[in-house]
Amino acid sequence: MKRILKYSSTSVVVLMIVGSAFGQTDPGVRNGTIDAGFGLTSVSGSSPDPNKVAFFNNGFTRFETAKTVTGSSNNGLGPRFNLNACGQCHSQPANGGSSPSSSEFPFVGDNPESEVLSRGIAFSPNTIPYFVSASGPVLEARFPYFFTNSGETSERDGGVHDLYTVQGNPDASSCTLAQPHFNTAASFNDIVFRIPTPVFGAGYIENIGEDTLINFFNGEVGNPFGVSGTFNYNGNDRTISRFGWKAQNKSMLLFSGEAFNVEMGITNELFQNERPNPDEENNFVGLPSGCLNLTGTGYPEDKTPINTSNSGTAASSDITMFAIFMRLLEQPTARPSGYSTATTTVTAASISRGQTAFSTVGCAACHAPSLTTDTSNLDSELTHATAHLYSDLEIHHMGGLADNILQGMAMGDQFRTSPLWGVGQRIFFLHDGRASDLLTAIQDHCLAPVSGSGFPASEACTAEANFAALPATSGGGTTTSQQDVLNFLRSL
Amino acid sequence: MKRLFRLLAFLAVSASLPARGQDAIQSSVPRSGDSPSATPLSKKIPERALLATGAWSSTSDSTTPLPEGGSVANGAYTNAYFGFSYKLPAGWMEKAAGSPPSATGSYALTLLTPADNYKGSGRGTILVTAQDMFFTPIPLANAVELLNYTKAHLQGDLKVELEPTVTMIAGQPFTSFAYWSPGTALYWHVLATEIRCHTVQFILMNRDPKTLESLVQEVNRLNWAAIPSETGAGRDDAPVCIKDYARGENVLERNDPVFPEHRFNPVPVRIIIDKEGKVRHIHFLTAFPDQAKTTTDALAQWRFKPYLRDGKPVEVETGIIFGPERHLAKPPVREATQSNSMTVASQR
Repeated sequence: MKRILKYSSTSVVVLMIVGSAFGQTDPGVRNGTIDAGFGLTSVSGSSPDPNKVAFFNNGFTRFETAKTVTGSSNNGLGPRFNLNACGQCHSQPANGGSSPSSSEFPFVGDNPESEVLSRGIAFSPNTIPYFVSASGPVLEARFPYFFTNSGETSERDGGVHDLYTVQGNPDASSCTLAQPHFNTAASFNDIVFRIPTPVFGAGYIENIGEDTLINFFNGEVGNPFGVSGTFNYNGNDRTISRFGWKAQNKSMLLFSGEAFNVEMGITNELFQNERPNPDEENNFVGLPSGCLNLTGTGYPEDKTPINTSNSGTAASSDITMFAIFMRLLEQPTARPSGYSTATTTVTAASISRGQTAFSTVGCAACHAPSLTTDTSNLDSELTHATAHLYSDLEIHHMGGLADNILQGMAMGDQFRTSPLWGVGQRIFFLHDGRASDLLTAIQDHCLAPVSGSGFPASEACTAEANFAALPATSGGGTTTSQQDVLNFLRSL
Repeated sequence: MKRLFRLLAFLAVSASLPARGQDAIQSSVPRSGDSPSATPLSKKIPERALLATGAWSSTSDSTTPLPEGGSVANGAYTNAYFGFSYKLPAGWMEKAAGSPPSATGSYALTLLTPADNYKGSGRGTILVTAQDMFFTPIPLANAVELLNYTKAHLQGDLKVELEPTVTMIAGQPFTSFAYWSPGTALYWHVLATEIRCHTVQFILMNRDPKTLESLVQEVNRLNWAAIPSETGAGRDDAPVCIKDYARGENVLERNDPVFPEHRFNPVPVRIIIDKEGKVRHIHFLTAFPDQAKTTTDALAQWRFKPYLRDGKPVEVETGIIFGPERHLAKPPVREATQSNSMTVASQR
């Protein structure tokens, strides 16, 4: 899919021509082996640590287990939710990943959000929102502004509006709760989306020190690509936060607790209260009383069981085990020696040329190929380890990709540099999954800001233009080309 | 359209609040569109004003030129603050316009690329940037040091072809630096000069070394004389740039802003001090609106010792950082002299 720039009257088709059918194409999802979703060596190696194996497996199980409103040992779902298990959204190419597909390796399945009615996760009168399709991606919806029947107001919303409610669920007969007005929001152009972020290698990211990030930042002074990122900070201790599309979350535990409450409606020890949607909060009406305490056991629904007879993994809450599972996930395996996809085979030589070009043209100014972790008190593999994450964990101005959502220090056009490890086996790209091929994703790094928005041009425009200056293909020779860069990316 | 940024007020809740309760919306909005069979509506992002809010660039007046205030018109990039006009090479166009600065004083002024109907052999880019040398997170005194720092941090397979070397271009001292990538066969030539405490860089990249050489030669056509000074009295009347002037005995009266809300961002500010020692212009590189207002009110009470040149008071331009400096390091105090290239532009 091509985009039209709005910079000047003569620039409209620049990127269209550069990216059009000159031969360079995304080779597609790398197949063969699933190269992510397994544990660190202490979990998945030849001499695993039994304690870590037990915690990893327990966290994995809880990550996958479907939650219910009530009536099981995994209660608390709703009254609003996007899906009923972490592993439903985070599943490509394995548990802990991103949005799945039934037509791309490893054929995990259709978008689970499109199946909630057929699978008895949501019930009538719930309907499938217009933007949810079986072919994906999995989407979370936000409204940048509150709106009325007449149109948008100037009051900022920005919060997540869950797709479904528990109304109609036999276990929630007291709850009458309508879905958000997604179509109305869309008619006012007041809806934006996010896809799930993969959490592979989370332990490495958590353990990258502040000084390491600052040193990389300082090293970019005077860079020849016009890049000038900054950091997002968490409000509690003023240290650099690093998880999420805008680097708004500090840790995996915070990420787990927030997602458990926001995406599944399950209160926990980090977010203890049932969450009304932003309209209900803003209008001071809250949730209907018939939709509260549906489990009957009170809050929080997920808790550390205070019971001295518990030990090991049973002594922890769900969000704790989620965080431990994600923290013990290995970084994705790259395939620099070559690989296959459904349509082609890529050689090591092409990957090597593409890797060099990736840095030379300026992509690495933000997508830092690697950062080194601090000493770890959790696992020796996380100590002074090289995290090949391809991200500086900074937030950058991204021009026309702006979603106008403010999070922490991140403004409406700023996004965290998305880690590219594992991108070879991902299907949807950019924060809202708008691109399903890497060439479009690269071109969209330099979309023109929306007219009148006040946002500046994307910081990535020079690197994108440098990439576009490469020949489209190597023509069967050894000239470094855009195709080589695409081939390299799919090796990650 | 360009581009003297004004203070951007945070969106006030001036419009009516949404109707209380979901029922008011439910009863009047058709629900049929929520069925699975509804035609999917556009997924495009909102087109209403996505007004930039948060920490942003702003200024105390709309007439004093700003570093980011340049624009392309009539085939040339013109910047009144830096005082030059650069004619775009034939067949080239502006791909991305200038952006407000980062908190560390980094500006992307303009990005040029060949137009879609470009017939030449050399595809490439020309990026013009500026770095405010007062706000760099590490102490770098001048263009040579900045380019040496860039050289030390080159990525990929880049090889130096020309070490940073001072040369004269268009009558102005420039530092010239060239490197190339054997793997990608891309060539760079950087021309950096110091203007008003900034290092302005012309970063030219091309696939064709001959085209690159030709583009480098065209930088000789930089026009310094076309821009009047901001006071209208000629370029020699431009403020003298003195890094770190706002300290010690230079400050006769000082009232630091007390920000009402605790935040984590530094507030880098560039000011122009008039001949009487009062602040007459403030440029916030990045600040929240309430921080900008508080700082503006505080700076109105500052008094500086007038700076004398040849026994006569002249205006001074300098930088200050309020709030947490984070990882920013204070550079050593340096004063502009007649031989210092930072004042050359003001002599023209």
